[in-house]
Amino acid sequence: MNNAIFRYPLIAALTVVTTFAFLPRANAGMTDAVKTETLPNGLKVLVLENHKAPVASFNVFYRVGSRNEQFGKTGISHLCEHLMFKGTHKIGPEEFSKIIQENGGEDNAMTSTDYTEYFENINRDRLSVPISLEADRMANFAPQQFDKERSVVEEERRLRTDDQPEDALDEQVRAAAFVEHPYHWPVIGWMQDIQRLTLNDALAYHHIYYSPQNALIVVVGDFNANTVLKQIAEAFGAVKNGPKPPPVTEVEPEQKGERRVELRHAANLPAFEEAYHVPNLTNPDAFPLEIASEILSDGKSSRLYKDLVVDKRMVVDVGAGYDMTSFDPDLFVVEAQMRPGIKTEDVIAETDKQIAELRNSQVSANELQKAKNLEQAEFVFSQDSILREAMLLGVYQMLGNYKLLDQYLPGIDKVTAADVQRVARKYFVDSNRTLGVLVPTGVLPHEMGGGGPGGGGVRHAEPIGQVAR
Amino acid sequence: MNRQPGRNLIVAAAAAIIALVSLAPQAQALQIKRMTLSNGAILLISEEHQLPMVTVSIAFDAGSRRDPVGQEGLAALTATCLSQGTKSLSAADFNQKVDFMGSSVSVDAGRDYATAGFTSLTKYEDQTLKLLVGILTQPGLRDADIERKRAETIADLKAAEEEPGYVAGIRFIKTLFGNSPYGHRSSGTPESVAKLTPADVRSFYHKYYRLGGAVIAVTGDVQADKIKALLEQELTGLSGSVPAQAEPAAPTVGKGVEIKLVDRNVSQANVIMGFGGIARSNPDYYKLQVMNYIFGGGGFASRLMEVVRSENGLAYFIGSGVEAGKFPGAYAISLGTKNASANEAIKLVLEQMRRMQSAPVSDAELQSAKKFLVGSFPLKFDRQSSIASFMLQVELYGLGLDYAEHYPKLIDAVTTQDVQQMAQKYLHPDAILVVAVANQKEAAINQQMLSEVAAGQESASGASTH
Repeated sequence: MNNAIFRYPLIAALTVVTTFAFLPRANAGMTDAVKTETLPNGLKVLVLENHKAPVASFNVFYRVGSRNEQFGKTGISHLCEHLMFKGTHKIGPEEFSKIIQENGGEDNAMTSTDYTEYFENINRDRLSVPISLEADRMANFAPQQFDKERSVVEEERRLRTDDQPEDALDEQVRAAAFVEHPYHWPVIGWMQDIQRLTLNDALAYHHIYYSPQNALIVVVGDFNANTVLKQIAEAFGAVKNGPKPPPVTEVEPEQKGERRVELRHAANLPAFEEAYHVPNLTNPDAFPLEIASEILSDGKSSRLYKDLVVDKRMVVDVGAGYDMTSFDPDLFVVEAQMRPGIKTEDVIAETDKQIAELRNSQVSANELQKAKNLEQAEFVFSQDSILREAMLLGVYQMLGNYKLLDQYLPGIDKVTAADVQRVARKYFVDSNRTLGVLVPTGVLPHEMGGGGPGGGGVRHAEPIGQVAR
Repeated sequence: MNRQPGRNLIVAAAAAIIALVSLAPQAQALQIKRMTLSNGAILLISEEHQLPMVTVSIAFDAGSRRDPVGQEGLAALTATCLSQGTKSLSAADFNQKVDFMGSSVSVDAGRDYATAGFTSLTKYEDQTLKLLVGILTQPGLRDADIERKRAETIADLKAAEEEPGYVAGIRFIKTLFGNSPYGHRSSGTPESVAKLTPADVRSFYHKYYRLGGAVIAVTGDVQADKIKALLEQELTGLSGSVPAQAEPAAPTVGKGVEIKLVDRNVSQANVIMGFGGIARSNPDYYKLQVMNYIFGGGGFASRLMEVVRSENGLAYFIGSGVEAGKFPGAYAISLGTKNASANEAIKLVLEQMRRMQSAPVSDAELQSAKKFLVGSFPLKFDRQSSIASFMLQVELYGLGLDYAEHYPKLIDAVTTQDVQQMAQKYLHPDAILVVAVANQKEAAINQQMLSEVAAGQESASGASTH
């Protein structure tokens, strides 16, 4: 459940990108048709022809996100992403988007805990436009209007977090769950840090992280792959590398005992979030954990939805979230917002019963198959958009190799009921849990104590953890 | 877990950008077959066999504009109750069957129409279609399920009241449209929904879920003949059509700046400002799209974004949109800015309105808008869901199957004079509704200053707005 933020709140649907699954035919076909090239400067390029519609999606990923930040400078990755639109040695502020739009395209960008992505969806015969513009801002970053853009990011934080109680709670839970690892702080950064960031911070950050060796290009669409590879080599081949980015070396120490946080915030309804430390896809437990999240909350027949929403009518909504594609081990999260008059502790107790059930008995064959079928369908559905296809390839490539996608289907398929029970027993235990509770203080100004607003955290406007342009 | 309706407003401002991206030249990329079924519905099919999946969407004349006064939320509650199983299948069994195939089946009431549909893998197309047909023709609509969904809706609405954007949105449309069909959110209010009974829901279903005039859009990995036959064979019994609804008077705002304030403990003022707009059938629609793109609908290419966000750093989201529906909708601008800069942001928007009216836009701005509006058309066809929704719009709003060839000409014909005339005709800085959900003590909205700016006077008090 890393947090992703977009440059502009355009595309809610997109933020489900990290839901993926599998299908033999579509899956194998997809990675087999990918062509790759590594330019002499280290820039890796993946190209996939898809002739469904006369359009293409051009994506540039940089392996930098909030996990690369330091205490006191949180939010610099996301601010840097915003500044990428504020001009280069060749074009002025916001001209990037204007040029793309004049060419009938749409663009946006997104920062997560792990990476930063820029994309343009555009008519196939205009693909050279984003290619040259992206090469330009990789090489010639020269943002203007720094102070104004930093204010825009402050407004973004107010919108996403400070005035969104559940996001504010999520921010507090992550800060408690991670003591050493940079997943401790929110992608958008703490307000006080954002306000102190400088243009020099951004220039230095770009110099280190926005170089060919740290980037990845993924293009999907209606074109000739060889032609596009050639265009990319010409545009990006001369871009020089900066220093080698320092590795992220922090390892989160094992949690030994439950942690509890309380957030008092302007809100009407209470909410809670429980988070368990879990591994990512480098660990074989990832697939059973993914199945566990499906069983708990995917679909209206899922356990938590059926129990808490339908049968007991306790919550407005409930969800379980797990993203195995985080670069470092992250959290398995269960969260709910109470209905009026329902006590938080009662819902936590009921949720814990459901979690305990996963530990105490094996899921039925039918329920396991249903979870696998859901994964399979979602994987096919996710390839319906060339942008999502590009995002999927990009994320897996950054995790090591886009071919890892081919192992997703078999990985899910191999999961047994015993596996699900085993991971539930291993990870879904109190000593590995952080529990956050939102205590609503009312939404009217006079209802607040002397504290005033602020202090709030980040909410999942989109349930995964990214921040967009 | 983010179903809060309040999100919509923010997305709505932004969605304006996408919504405008109507059509473009390459419609030949989209081959649409149109036919009339024996059950009275119009069927539109676009086959596309690259992925083994199918999307079906059926539009009924059962949107929330049909809600009787005092029963706001009835269309939406009916839609949501329809997905609670059939006469022979409980809600739980229905959900189990849908989930087991990995399909998604939904019925939702929008403002103009309700849409019922599904997305499934090709191998589950027939079974999922049968489930959809089942809930449409033989819905359970049991008292217990309806009462349960009613309670859920009320809880959702209570939760939404925490969303500043949502609160601003309902206040805005309620003030602008009053009791006319567009005067409420589809979901209704906690008070209006609490009064709805199972009998109301069943009666709404019988009256409005009729196949005469319904439109079915099918796209993806399907065989046109096969699905046509299947629909004719299975989708039966909902004969007849829905009586036409009288068009309500277009909303108007009285002279001056009408300000509605909602006090909340928030760090950011959520502002929606605007006036009545046009219906989709209005011939000004295309000229207005171009004007709106330049004014505030064109994202980073628009003047509002440039002035309020880029140059002044006052907002993360700011945009304008034309809600042109079956009836005249709103023309609205929405933005979020820290409480203390609310006056300044509103003032900038009013000034930009006046600027649109007082001088023609540059030829560069006009060309840029046209290039986007025409050139971005193919992006509409990237996903099955967007193809289906495009087909529904073409049919429901009578755009014609050749719309894609037609549209670029309509846009290309727009001149800078047209744009200025549209600004003068449809922007009303001097008769405008401004809703602000904010910490009002911090925001200290200055009505006098805003009125002066709106009237085009150099505001003496303008300097002291922060």
